[in-house]
Amino acid sequence: MLAVILLLLILPFAAAAVSLRAPDRVAEAVTAVSGVACFGLVLALVPAAAHHNLDYLSYLRVDAVSVVFLMATSFLYAAVAVYSIGYLAPSRRSREPGFSRYSRRFYTGLNLFAWTMLAAPMMNNLALLWIAVEVTTVISALLVAIENTDGAAEAAWKYILIASAGLGLALLATIFTYYAGAQVLGQHYDLSFTPLLHAGARLPHTPVRLAFVLAVLGFGTKMGLFPVHTWLPDAHSEAPTPVSALLSGSLLAVSFYAILRYYQVAAAAVGPAFPRDVLLVFGVASLLLAALYLLDQRDVKRMLAYSSVEHMGILAIGVSFGAPIALAGVLLHVLAHAAAKGNAFMGAGVLVHKFGSKRISGITGGLDLLPWSGPLFGIAILALCAMPPFGIFRSEFEIVQGGFSSARYATPAVLIVLVTLAFFGLTVAANRMLLLPARGGAKALTRGEPSAWMVVPVVAGVAALLVLGVHPPAELTGLLSRAVHQLGVAT
Amino acid sequence: MSADLPIPVIQFLQVATIGVAAPGISGVIAKVEARLQGRRGPRVLQPYYDVAKLLRKESLAPEGASWVFLAAPVGAAACYLTVPLLIPVLTSFGLPLGYMGDILGGGLILALASFLVAIAASETGSPYAQLGASRAKTFSAITEPVVLFVIFVVALVTGTDLPYALAATVRSSASQIVRPAHLLAAAALFMVILAETGRIPVETHTGTNEFGMIEEARPFEHSGPYFALLKWGSWMKQLILYTILLNVFVAPWGLAATAQTGDVALAIVALVGKAAVLGVVVAVIDNSFAKLRLFKITEYVSAAFLLAVLGVFTLYLGGG
Amino acid sequence: MSATAAVAAPSVYSGGASVISLGVLLAEFGMFRQALLRDQVRLYAVQSGLISVLAILVAAVRHLPDLYVLAALSAALKVVIVPIVLRRLLRGIGRAGEDEPAAGWTEIAGSGSLSLANTVLLAIAVAAFGFFSVRALDIRSSVLPPTALEISVSVALVAFVLMITRRDVASQAIGFLSLENGISLAALVVAAGLPLILEVAFLFDLLVAVVVFELLIRVHHGRAESLSTADLTSLRG
Repeated sequence: MLAVILLLLILPFAAAAVSLRAPDRVAEAVTAVSGVACFGLVLALVPAAAHHNLDYLSYLRVDAVSVVFLMATSFLYAAVAVYSIGYLAPSRRSREPGFSRYSRRFYTGLNLFAWTMLAAPMMNNLALLWIAVEVTTVISALLVAIENTDGAAEAAWKYILIASAGLGLALLATIFTYYAGAQVLGQHYDLSFTPLLHAGARLPHTPVRLAFVLAVLGFGTKMGLFPVHTWLPDAHSEAPTPVSALLSGSLLAVSFYAILRYYQVAAAAVGPAFPRDVLLVFGVASLLLAALYLLDQRDVKRMLAYSSVEHMGILAIGVSFGAPIALAGVLLHVLAHAAAKGNAFMGAGVLVHKFGSKRISGITGGLDLLPWSGPLFGIAILALCAMPPFGIFRSEFEIVQGGFSSARYATPAVLIVLVTLAFFGLTVAANRMLLLPARGGAKALTRGEPSAWMVVPVVAGVAALLVLGVHPPAELTGLLSRAVHQLGVAT
Repeated sequence: MSADLPIPVIQFLQVATIGVAAPGISGVIAKVEARLQGRRGPRVLQPYYDVAKLLRKESLAPEGASWVFLAAPVGAAACYLTVPLLIPVLTSFGLPLGYMGDILGGGLILALASFLVAIAASETGSPYAQLGASRAKTFSAITEPVVLFVIFVVALVTGTDLPYALAATVRSSASQIVRPAHLLAAAALFMVILAETGRIPVETHTGTNEFGMIEEARPFEHSGPYFALLKWGSWMKQLILYTILLNVFVAPWGLAATAQTGDVALAIVALVGKAAVLGVVVAVIDNSFAKLRLFKITEYVSAAFLLAVLGVFTLYLGGG
Repeated sequence: MSATAAVAAPSVYSGGASVISLGVLLAEFGMFRQALLRDQVRLYAVQSGLISVLAILVAAVRHLPDLYVLAALSAALKVVIVPIVLRRLLRGIGRAGEDEPAAGWTEIAGSGSLSLANTVLLAIAVAAFGFFSVRALDIRSSVLPPTALEISVSVALVAFVLMITRRDVASQAIGFLSLENGISLAALVVAAGLPLILEVAFLFDLLVAVVVFELLIRVHHGRAESLSTADLTSLRG
């Protein structure tokens, strides 16, 4: 298993190194291979992690919770790597100047981005975790700015400023956690996670509470929680589509992973009530804001970004319920959201490319003109709205059920109402884009897919959603139940 | 030389020292400033000659001015002569009359003096005098919170608001000097003093620049002996403020611990020396910075306020 | 006269350390006043230098030799390298005349959204909140007086105010860097015995942040020909 983990760490970095030098055809092939290979490696980890923690070299720790997030990241890495082949093809065909530089930067960045996101859940050290998340910020900011338009520059600036300030707060949280740990474990405590968790009950309360709130604020900035989510719609809409998919599907999840680790420490030290209340407040606020904003969107990728804020709010609310089934729903939601959001962005990318505009009003007749991507995009939107039989329905159902079973009735009700509002927003926009008749006359577009490479990952994503929703495989449920057990403090 | 001076003599010497040394300090500042500018500058004793000259001149009053116009300089000088009784000028032990008022009382009397001069200036109907008076009062109003916070620092550090007590506390150990609250309060007070005595960066002391006149414009309409009284009063105010800063906050050494003649004489020399050194510092600042435009004086005061507030916070919250 | 209890004086070491920390906070406030970008960068260098001095003081008095290394590293990075990088960056951009090179180094910072005095008052209120809230938490450190922790949190909060009220990218970037300073001061107070790993994280983060800021400022300037963020309003809603 150590070999698997080390390969997971080496492979994307090697792919990045290759992409830095090699011609773009080679780079895209290497990236695609690396992506699919990483996904396979993570799947290989699943049976082992479902039974015991994998601790190596005192810095690496892969337990069930980590593997869930690794699956989310590696799946999207594979999907996006394949998708990019089709995404960049038109620019190559039209022989734009500076394309080879663009593609080199794009693939290097993509591989490095995936590398850091795969490394973060495997770190057994809170300081290394913070470093990993910081590096993801840096690389993703450069990727957001890669398009070099006015909007991209503005979005990247906002992103790096707000996210770095938030990570500064998260660093403060790490420092206070060190302080708390040092009181119990001695001055030479090096921020390892496992000893901290074992010493949980003996940690002093005030620094742990402070650290948790700062961690939620700080890592919540990267996760997209209200009120520090303001960079999210801009960055996700201005980045190139494959990057947006990774940002929404994986980066938010990795930030959530960091918050989960702090949640574990806080729950062990001060009991579960305080962290749950904190997360509840942030979760409901994010969900409310996102649902309201979704009702009036004009840009398709911005709309999907707000949908990400909504789902992150649902994740926070799910953790705040605390019941084991809610926690299982949360972890399943991470996986299903990654697949569904990735699909949605990839489909949106095809639409944007076909119609040449990001505005919802500029895209009409999707079903007519795009025989594959149109319906797939529609399915992705429906999946995001928690339509059965897709995975998100199952996960949200479990979350709501967990809420009711832990004797909270108001919050699940509010959640259902707000999710319905979000459903309105998303489907009205999707209707406009897909079902309205296409423009006729001189501006009519021909029917046909731009590229098969852009369809295959989406099909794979839909298949994954179906699997998650209809019948998750037994190893996966075993993994999830072990993860819940680790996270869980019984209600 | 080891005879004890009677207490009333020492009290009189307090007032006399301030009164007599005040023009001299002003002369020192003017001389140093001129030297820094590469000029020879006026004599150090020039202010005394100025006062003597003005006493010989005739005094005029504008039409429509009432008795207040003539009484104000006298009243202001009286206030300025009273304040030295309340602050540690020569001795480190409290003198009987010193308990008439605490540091807040001293501040009130100084404000009264300033008020009288402002009233007299407004009475004249002259545009420059009224301009100076209104500006002076406005800026005093916004520097008041700073002074109050400095007084709070004094009160928190010593548990009383007697200036003698703070001087004793500062002398007691090195840790008292290094504590942040003390340094902050001293810095804030210094900034207020620069504003109150009409120095750069608030106002140019020399010359009558209409755009920036604040303190300098108020005695515009007075002449002759009354003008001499006003000038002498403003010099006394300057020395009084310097004395408060030096003998209470910054350098409370050299004060007479006993009533012996030798100690008191030493104290007089020490005070004049310290005030001269502070005057040199003020002259250097005069030559190093530019005058702030009037509306930027609020920024200056906000900086002083910041220092004073931080002093209170570090004291109250940090044990510093 | 009232007979309230006097506040006892701290030891010379505590007083000295508090004064240096206070210098950091005052440098932070000083950044509000500086109109030229060049002066802001210099003030940032001064602030970083003060933190290094404090680290050396702590190392000497509390016998923590690791801190000497940290102080040297952070001084080298934050007092020397970062200002040089920023100066090179700013020299290359800014309004260029017809024949003269671009003079971004002496560029006047964009005006804040509030007047200076109001901003300082707001910052004082925010710093007060920082002081009182940290006091309420009552976290004792073994190496520095509690004032230092309160000051560090106040520096972080005031840096946020700086970032929010400024309207040009360079000032916002310098505000972010001073936020990092505040956090490193907090690390010094609470975690002086910290293993080098976190310090390496810090400095690495700083280096990377500067590189990214450089790139983004170039991008921004390349598009907008100015450093102002007043035009960054297209993404709304």
